[in-house]
Amino acid sequence: MYRLGIDLGSSYTKGVLVDEENRMKAFHCLKSGYNFNNTSEKIIRHFSENFEIGFPVFTCGYGREQIQAEHVPNSELIALSRAVYEMYKRSCSIIDIGGQDTKFIRVNALGQVDKFKMNRKCAAGTGSFLEEIAFRLDVTPAEFTELVKEATREVKINSFCTVFAISEIIGMIKNGATLPNIILGIYNSIILRSVEMSVPEDHLVITGGLPAMHPTIVSLFKKRYADTDSPEHSQFLAAYGCVLLNNDKR
Amino acid sequence: MSEKGITDKSELIKLRSAGDLRITMDGYFARLKEAAETGSRKIAWCTSVGPAELLYSMGFEVYFPENHGAMLGAGKNADKYIPTAVAHGYSPDICSYLTSDIGAFLQNETPLQKSGFSSVPKPDILVYNTNQCREVEDWFSFYARHFNVPIVGIHTPLSISDLGSEIVRSVSDQYHRIIPEIEKVAGRKFDIDKFRETVGLSHEGCVLWKQVLQKARHIPSPVNFFDSAIHMGPIVVMRGTQHAVNYYRILLAELDERIENGVSAVPVERFRIYWEGMPLWYRLSNLARLFARLDTCIVASTYCNSWVFDDLDPADPFESSALAYSKLFIVRSDAVKESILEQLMQEFTVHGIIYHESKTCARNSNNRFGLQTRLFKTTGIPYLEINGDLNDPRCYSEEQSIIAIETFIQQLSGKATV
Repeated sequence: MYRLGIDLGSSYTKGVLVDEENRMKAFHCLKSGYNFNNTSEKIIRHFSENFEIGFPVFTCGYGREQIQAEHVPNSELIALSRAVYEMYKRSCSIIDIGGQDTKFIRVNALGQVDKFKMNRKCAAGTGSFLEEIAFRLDVTPAEFTELVKEATREVKINSFCTVFAISEIIGMIKNGATLPNIILGIYNSIILRSVEMSVPEDHLVITGGLPAMHPTIVSLFKKRYADTDSPEHSQFLAAYGCVLLNNDKR
Repeated sequence: MSEKGITDKSELIKLRSAGDLRITMDGYFARLKEAAETGSRKIAWCTSVGPAELLYSMGFEVYFPENHGAMLGAGKNADKYIPTAVAHGYSPDICSYLTSDIGAFLQNETPLQKSGFSSVPKPDILVYNTNQCREVEDWFSFYARHFNVPIVGIHTPLSISDLGSEIVRSVSDQYHRIIPEIEKVAGRKFDIDKFRETVGLSHEGCVLWKQVLQKARHIPSPVNFFDSAIHMGPIVVMRGTQHAVNYYRILLAELDERIENGVSAVPVERFRIYWEGMPLWYRLSNLARLFARLDTCIVASTYCNSWVFDDLDPADPFESSALAYSKLFIVRSDAVKESILEQLMQEFTVHGIIYHESKTCARNSNNRFGLQTRLFKTTGIPYLEINGDLNDPRCYSEEQSIIAIETFIQQLSGKATV
């Protein structure tokens, strides 16, 4: 019998199957769309085809309550912290960059959340920021990861606002800036927005969909903080943590 | 109170005194309406922590635009009016009480119309004190120009560390200086005995209000921030009158009764929180339900404590008014604010503090210069910062804030319970 954690995020819904030994066994990710229940049903069906799933399922994220299947909702910040602590078993700072949110979490040596902060009411520096810019530049976010390898120097993006950042980028293109250099600037702009949330202490763990899909972001974090890591499947960690939290209660 | 028998923890437990509050506030507005319609009494507009006692002592009915702003916010109408003020040149980044109030005025709408007012009561004079912010002067100046009536004000120094005799004397002198203009409008001479009497009543009302707030020191608390934010109405608009005194005696008796009978403000009180910053008027009941569902009582707040002017003294009405209105939290330096917060958090046995960073109210957003991190270092009490606004709902992301608040309470649950 497997347990299922589902993180119903603003952009993507992530499901992770967890075995009896608390290991992540299988992953499935879909665009959240407008109907969280339909999306979560698709995730449940996907896993049910090959695995026996126990109910309730364990949820977090914006759509954590918008699901008809028997479920236990959790705070995504607590769930993510629990999963990261499970992996590292030490105090650390977490920076999680998702579709609309950037989160900073400080986890103490006992695995408790000491403090946390979420981005202000603005999506600059999140996945939506990057997706919007990619759309306006007519480049897919996936192409970003390849193009950035050709960057020779960073172009600084100053604007806090996504819309104005696009205007700023158009101005840079007019002045001869190359696309790879602009992409490097966008990545660095995202990093600056996240590190201003708080001061990372000792070990820094980078999680979330954006760094998972754009590994250069993790490399750039490492340049800034040597003791930085980003675990595999980091966009599934909040879903994983939901299952672990439930185990803790048993 | 045990959890047994509780079917809906987010159900709000209303204070019985709400009926008396309604009667008291209705009486206030009826007097204003009568004065506006018949001209039987002159009407002064006053800032919420302005010299209300002086105005009441000189026979005015006193109207408070900030109270009106809060009514617009609580009625969830502010965002309908703010764009109108913005279109007339007022930035969306300045006080949203100001922009919603001026916007509503320009649209000739007011919630007072439900009480039979044709519009807000026309002022005969506008009187402000900049102790809370400079924006009140600009706000009142709009109406002074519009109605072509006199405007007078007291300019209090900002960021006061040492509240010495020099500052008190300077503010007291300004009280004296505005009197001749007020006398002209009032059509009567200033009467020191009436002023003493009004200051005495204000002191009595403030002491009673303080006692109301201090009932929340009891565990579990019989009253929370969301109750107090509504029940503070009389101390804001009727400070210096017998009406406020009478009302707070009723409320105080009910809270004593609650304590005696073990009735708490929220069905289950496991966590006690301090609220720093302005209320989010348009989400007051949503937040009240959210915290109740999370077994959390907001037991104390800077906002509600800001109307405790217990330094007022009828024996020395000018100097004591100057002292009381310059001692106000909002006009103090960060060092003083830190020590006040530390004391209040200790006094009310809180497990955490929530800072509401209000987009359009810098003076009431005390997490902008590192105070929250310094206070955490000295007290070890965890804190949460949420972004929003007092009146403009466009500055508030509700879902994100709910996640943050739920997480904060879970964070506390690992560390502290009553």
